[in-house]
Amino acid sequence: MEAIRLYIRLVGISMQARLQYRADFIMGAFSVIMLNVMNLALIGIIVYRFVELNGWNIWQLFFLYCLWLLGHSFYSLFFWHFWDLEEDLIRGTFDQFLLRPASVFIQYIGREVQYIGFADMFVAIVGIGLAYVKLGLHWSIGLWLFVPVVVISGTMIEMTLNLMVACISFWTGRSSIALDMVMEFNVLVQHYPIDIFSAWFRIVVTGLLPVAFMNYYPALILLGKIEKTAVPGIGFLSPVVALVLVGLTSIVWHFAMRRYSSSGG
Amino acid sequence: MKIFWAFTRQAFQYASVYRFNFFVGILLTFLQMYGIYWVWRTLYTQKPDAFGVNMEQMITYGVLGMAMQIFMWSRVQWYIANQVKSGAIDTDLMKPLDFHIHMLARSTGETVISSVLALPSLIISYFILGISLPADIGTAVAFIVSVVLGFLVIFHLNFILGTLAVFTLDIRHISWAYMSTVRFFGGQLVPLWLFPPALLLIANILPFQSTFAIPMSIYIGKLTGADMFRALGFQFGWMVVLVLGSRLLWTQAHRRLVVQGG
Repeated sequence: MEAIRLYIRLVGISMQARLQYRADFIMGAFSVIMLNVMNLALIGIIVYRFVELNGWNIWQLFFLYCLWLLGHSFYSLFFWHFWDLEEDLIRGTFDQFLLRPASVFIQYIGREVQYIGFADMFVAIVGIGLAYVKLGLHWSIGLWLFVPVVVISGTMIEMTLNLMVACISFWTGRSSIALDMVMEFNVLVQHYPIDIFSAWFRIVVTGLLPVAFMNYYPALILLGKIEKTAVPGIGFLSPVVALVLVGLTSIVWHFAMRRYSSSGG
Repeated sequence: MKIFWAFTRQAFQYASVYRFNFFVGILLTFLQMYGIYWVWRTLYTQKPDAFGVNMEQMITYGVLGMAMQIFMWSRVQWYIANQVKSGAIDTDLMKPLDFHIHMLARSTGETVISSVLALPSLIISYFILGISLPADIGTAVAFIVSVVLGFLVIFHLNFILGTLAVFTLDIRHISWAYMSTVRFFGGQLVPLWLFPPALLLIANILPFQSTFAIPMSIYIGKLTGADMFRALGFQFGWMVVLVLGSRLLWTQAHRRLVVQGG
């Protein structure tokens, strides 16, 4: 539990550091909201013409988009700095974590906080709320409790996948383009229901890079569209997928650390 | 011209050093093309004739939109912002070459390299996704002219954004809003003729359609004849305005840098 205390303390320090740049936050929040509104508008424009996309109407698509975004918002709050790992390794700034008498992992993940995540969260909550009303959904208590589980699982899935991919830079020195690649799978899964794509894509986002568990599979349950898959309860597996990925990540991190310290870096 | 090749060579060397980036980059671009392909395919299966263009034209438009994102990768605004932040901008100011021209040469080199990166994905798309070629030589020539104009428009927009860094220092967040605006009103993903009237009106005034919508519409044969020449004129007009705007703004920025002792 020492680790969690340390993590919270590190995040607290990062928050204080960030609070110094208020104008920066306002500009950033504005940009993030604008970016999301434009993405949603594009989805709206194409679906408005066609009424629906493979059986998904406009509000169901917004729901899909925003459910992904809500999980992602916690990722962008706490873990955005994974993109800079290769830079840290090139410049040697990663070494500072090895020098302190605390877990390198906790120090690294607690390194930075990006307030911009709040703007994502705002858009996601408004979008999900509107979709809930417009679609006339009535969730049971059980489903309401399922929502935070989905969101936390979503955050963990994105966080672990990205951290594992970022760890590539311990071997090759570069990882940001691979992260871009993972992000592209994320973008497609966020914007469109995966049932429009061909089989290999669905297999990749279900098994290899299981980002479809961030929004698509849970959304089938939450929107009552379970007829879309052969395995109706698959959405309930999101937390299981997240836990498996956490396990894999700890193994990858272990090897990455061994590699890093042995190369004398 | 010599300087142009110097920058081109430099960028080529960069690309060969990071071979991993190069190949993943091709895959990444293809994945984006694949995504938009399935979106249009699915929609066209539902309603084959909702739009005035056929499915092949629409898919070609979408795939080209992804390939032409290479214009968005232009680093000119980041280059200026980083140089201003680190103070290294003074070395640029000392060079015996006009800063604006220097940036244009640099950006051209980068874009040529990016095109090389986009080509394999386009070739793969040609065979797998079934995109079409321009209808005739005239269309192809008009498309190339339009792409060059589109590049010049986006370059100057980027240059202006980068120059703003001299006044505000941080352009990271502004550039997110900027890029999503360019994509949206540029018609990169969804063609402008599908926009509701009010949004279409705005898109028709703004310069952004020069970069994506106009060249891509020419390519698929949606813009022809007098309309096509009017569109090329629109691009040219905006280019002139933006060149003048860039020069004017840079003069101001330069003065400010000199006063600060930069």
